[in-house]
Amino acid sequence: MLHPLTTLASQPNVALDQYLPLAVIIVGAVGFAVANIVLTKIIGPSRRGANKGMSYESGMNPVGTARKRFNVRFYLIAMVFLVFDVEIIFLYPWATTFPNLDPANPDAGIWLFRIFFFLFTTIVAYVYGFRKGVFNFD
Amino acid sequence: MPDWLTAQTFVSVHVFFIMVHVILLTVAYLIYVERKAASYIQDRVGPNRVGFDFGLPWLKPLRGMLGLGQPLADGMKFLLKEDYAPDRVDKKLFTLAPMVMIVPALIGFAIIPWGGTIVLPDLDLPLIGTMEGGPIVIAGLHVNVGVIYLISVATLSVYGVTLGGWASNNKYSFLGGLRCTAQMISYEIPLGLCILAALLLVGSFLPEEIIGYQRDHGWLIFAQPLAAIIFFIALLAESNRIPFDNAEAEQELVGGYHTEYSSMRFALFFLAEYAHMITGCAFFALLFLGGYELLPFVSVFPAVAEGSILAVLGIAALKFAVFFGKVLLLVCFMILIRWSIPRLRYDQVMMMGWQAVIPISLVLVVLTSTMVYLGLGGVVPMFIANAILAVVIVALVPVLPRTRTNQRLPLYGSRFCPVTGSTVQTGPTDPLAREDRPLQGTVTA
Repeated sequence: MLHPLTTLASQPNVALDQYLPLAVIIVGAVGFAVANIVLTKIIGPSRRGANKGMSYESGMNPVGTARKRFNVRFYLIAMVFLVFDVEIIFLYPWATTFPNLDPANPDAGIWLFRIFFFLFTTIVAYVYGFRKGVFNFD
Repeated sequence: MPDWLTAQTFVSVHVFFIMVHVILLTVAYLIYVERKAASYIQDRVGPNRVGFDFGLPWLKPLRGMLGLGQPLADGMKFLLKEDYAPDRVDKKLFTLAPMVMIVPALIGFAIIPWGGTIVLPDLDLPLIGTMEGGPIVIAGLHVNVGVIYLISVATLSVYGVTLGGWASNNKYSFLGGLRCTAQMISYEIPLGLCILAALLLVGSFLPEEIIGYQRDHGWLIFAQPLAAIIFFIALLAESNRIPFDNAEAEQELVGGYHTEYSSMRFALFFLAEYAHMITGCAFFALLFLGGYELLPFVSVFPAVAEGSILAVLGIAALKFAVFFGKVLLLVCFMILIRWSIPRLRYDQVMMMGWQAVIPISLVLVVLTSTMVYLGLGGVVPMFIANAILAVVIVALVPVLPRTRTNQRLPLYGSRFCPVTGSTVQTGPTDPLAREDRPLQGTVTA
């Protein structure tokens, strides 16, 4: 049963040297960022002062630090994001192999059903979060 | 010629460095276009003074020029301004954040196949000797993971936002960074699901094959209009554009995560935002608008350009012109949206993301996979399925339960006060809050 998917998946030729331009590209991009910041540090003026060093909080003198506790809702969003994002990443390989399957293949229905079950587990998580009020912002 | 230097690598590196310059120049002039568009929409003139005369008397004819020298002047000013870090910031992270932001923005568009596939003849090059020709793709990077690379790299800019907000040690920056992070990761999901809906029809990650599919079957915007719309909305949210720019809602958060930034470090954030817009629009054009194909159902250019070196480069340049033209049109559309639509409230943005856009795109993926399974993956059946889904969504909206939070307050005398005699629908559920507000039940006089 695994046969059609494994043969399709083995078709693209994985050659690491096709990533060679990526190394050059990353070096170029990092070089651009570093060069700009270093240049402006060299060229621009530099003066310091007690009031100048204050954080800008709408002209008020800052009270305390900004490293405080914040709304737990952001953690919830991050956790639900993880659930969905991992699911989507698992769906990508399937999305590229599934349309290439022979439509007359009797196993195609099983592959579809398995993915639907996989999606169903996420939908259960979504409904649970919805009922818990994770997606309500007030 | 060394073994590792293939024609593809050679061309890729050159294409990338040309495209970086093209995109940075476009970004500079996009800022100018944005300011001009804003000023015309607001009945102003906009930048119209800075030409290319540099204050020199003998370059007087170059003065003015509709303000076309403004981007250059802005860039110079960014470079010459003081690169200041306030006392309480986390210095290392504060410097790192703009870099983390700009690097993904610069390398993200590498996989976009601007010029399509060409068959390069054998070339004699100085220094490196004879280069073996063959079919190559005019893209900064030609890898088998294709669009996955673009998604994963573009996502990295979330780190820049988070670090910038955190390192600033400023309450506004921190809140802006938090909001922006939450918004960006929320809209990543519909973005990914819409790409999935498109890829389910194409069946390949490779940008060239996505365009090839659209050459044969018509643009995907006709087969997946709903996915295209949701993708564009998610793009707006990802690049923090109005109506989703809560990260820098001036009335609430000063400047958001880049409040404390100045000079080139601020400019890098700015550049990254616009480069993301261009990358996103190029991605949209690639997925839904047929890439470098000029017309929806007719193929104008040959799929693989063959012939002499001048002919293949000419065809690649034409394809690039079409592709980039589409990108510029989309970016102008984004600019138009920015100056026409007011900003959404933060809770509205998040609720729209989690309660509307994500369920719709999930249903779309299920629908598309079912249609592909049934062998109905063509343009017409998919368009009909999308239309039916859109109608069902619109029909379902009044039936769905509505949230009572953050709705209009029926305060007496406010413009939201209901008409005399009507029944007040909304109100706080908490009994204590109820006592505070006399306006419940029927409005008398």
